[in-house]
Amino acid sequence: MSTKVRRVYGYLAEFKNASQLYKAAEKVRDAGFKKWDCYTPYPVHGLDDAMGVKRSVLPYFVFFGGLTGFLTAIALAYTTQVGLYPTVVQGKPANIFTTAAFFPVMFELTILFSGFTVLFGLLALMGLPRWNHPIFASKQFARVTDDKFFIAIEARDAKFSAESTKALLAEIGGDNIELVEDDSE
Amino acid sequence: MAHQVTSKDIPINGEHLEKGKIATLQMICGGIGGLGLIASIIYLIVGSGQAHGSYAFSWLFAVFFITTIVLGGCFWTFLHNLSNSGWGTSVRRLMENLGFVFPFLVVFFIPFLFPNVQQYLYEWMTAYRDVVGDSGNAKEALLHDSDPHNHLLAAKVFYLEPLFWYGRFVFYFAGLGFFIFLVRKFSIAQDTDDKPGTKNLFAARKHSSWSMIIFGVTLTFLALDFVMALDYSWFSTMFGVYVFAGSALNSMAVLILTGIFLQKMGYLKNVVTQEHYHIMGKLCFAFTVFWAYVSFSQFFLIWYANITEETRYFLLRNTENWNILSLMLVFMHFGLPFLALLRSDVKKSAKFMTIFCFYILFMHVLDVYHMIIPERGPSVGLVIDHHPQLWISGSWLGDILALVIAVCAFLFLYLRNLTSAALYPHRDPRILESANLHN
Repeated sequence: MSTKVRRVYGYLAEFKNASQLYKAAEKVRDAGFKKWDCYTPYPVHGLDDAMGVKRSVLPYFVFFGGLTGFLTAIALAYTTQVGLYPTVVQGKPANIFTTAAFFPVMFELTILFSGFTVLFGLLALMGLPRWNHPIFASKQFARVTDDKFFIAIEARDAKFSAESTKALLAEIGGDNIELVEDDSE
Repeated sequence: MAHQVTSKDIPINGEHLEKGKIATLQMICGGIGGLGLIASIIYLIVGSGQAHGSYAFSWLFAVFFITTIVLGGCFWTFLHNLSNSGWGTSVRRLMENLGFVFPFLVVFFIPFLFPNVQQYLYEWMTAYRDVVGDSGNAKEALLHDSDPHNHLLAAKVFYLEPLFWYGRFVFYFAGLGFFIFLVRKFSIAQDTDDKPGTKNLFAARKHSSWSMIIFGVTLTFLALDFVMALDYSWFSTMFGVYVFAGSALNSMAVLILTGIFLQKMGYLKNVVTQEHYHIMGKLCFAFTVFWAYVSFSQFFLIWYANITEETRYFLLRNTENWNILSLMLVFMHFGLPFLALLRSDVKKSAKFMTIFCFYILFMHVLDVYHMIIPERGPSVGLVIDHHPQLWISGSWLGDILALVIAVCAFLFLYLRNLTSAALYPHRDPRILESANLHN
């Protein structure tokens, strides 16, 4: 028998269908929990409202990512093509009036940097990539990819308590309520 | 979540715009538009002299501005049906009403059928008439003419041929005019259908398919025949797309404005929400970018390749003060709207979108001005010391007059369409889906 001390991840409760989960999510939100999540086999419309999820900050990152790309392109084009090594192509001048020729570069780099900011910003905000997630310790959780809906309330949440949280999940219609323990090292 | 709209919220006979509420506006618009239209047509047909030539350009500018907006209405109607969309069912009737102004526009185009107007606008017609005359082979006649400019026309004479031109004119208004009428008719027939099903909806979808092709052909070649042909030596394969981009953007702006004003008057309350304005705002944003993309591509390829017969269009528009207008379009038709529409909350704000839509429509006026009016100086103006004049003093008065007349006449027709049927298709199977839209 192992005597290892295990950290409690939180409670996991199973729901039969999307509408049950939706109503339960509204109640968990109203109870004031912050660190919790819903798990579903497919996207449920309006669930983010039911969960009280706020708008992501990602668009602001993307805006400044795109702006960085735009300014990088301007700096790149003008220092190389106008400042350091002016090249006459197709009889075009190498000065401010060449700007039209640099537009494709500005356009591409704005998009490239925005795209990178979306990808890496999204990964960072989601905490990805990671090797494992504590919730995988639950055996029943495998059915989330098939036909079951789950709500997990984390022990890290300030409102979490061993008894009342379990009672809340039972009250809002959760079945098979399970205390998930983190089995990773 | 907001209140769920159910079939109880939809009036059984639909919402109708009360004629009394807009009677004054419609009367004023009809008065100015109608009288102005008749006066303009008569003046253009019988007039002569420099002011007459100048007004021919003003009239083309004003009419083409209205035409692009109306064509955009046709586009959104067909696209909505064709893509089987559910979101816009509650604003679809507005699109249909905007598009259905098109058949009436033929009246605006009457002056262009007369050689007295064509002589200023379409120099190729004059050249054709002078050179070809009665000779059987137009190409040979042009090719062996003493004026070398006509040799360029010889290469294009298969298309720039007056009889073919008149044929195309009929095709535009008969073809697209009929199809927008047909698609709108299906939609309205559904309003009074005793057994509201999908019959009319599917018929509208089916007929929108070839209508979309007719639309594409009409918009492209209408732009070619009436605007690009102002200088027959110039050509750009992107011109049709360029006109289309502005057309789709600005008709969407008109649709948003109509929606906002109708809601202010107490209509469409149950079926149009912020979500619709959000989607329409997003479409505006997309077409702002698309307009910039297309117009820049057109400029860029011509600028880079630097081939004599292609550069004339931009040479003219980058000379002296026209350059200011060209630069203004870059920053104010693209830069500013792009930044302004980035945030989602501004697209949902009726107040902001009202300002924005009027702004973008004003930019579109400048865009159409930029397409047409620079040709006026060289075509009608004096040639002083071998330099054709770029600007005819006082001609802007005619531009404003023509614009006011055309906009008033357009508003009259649009309001007439709005009152002639229910404001939204209340028996469409997807009206509730649209009313409860969430994006």
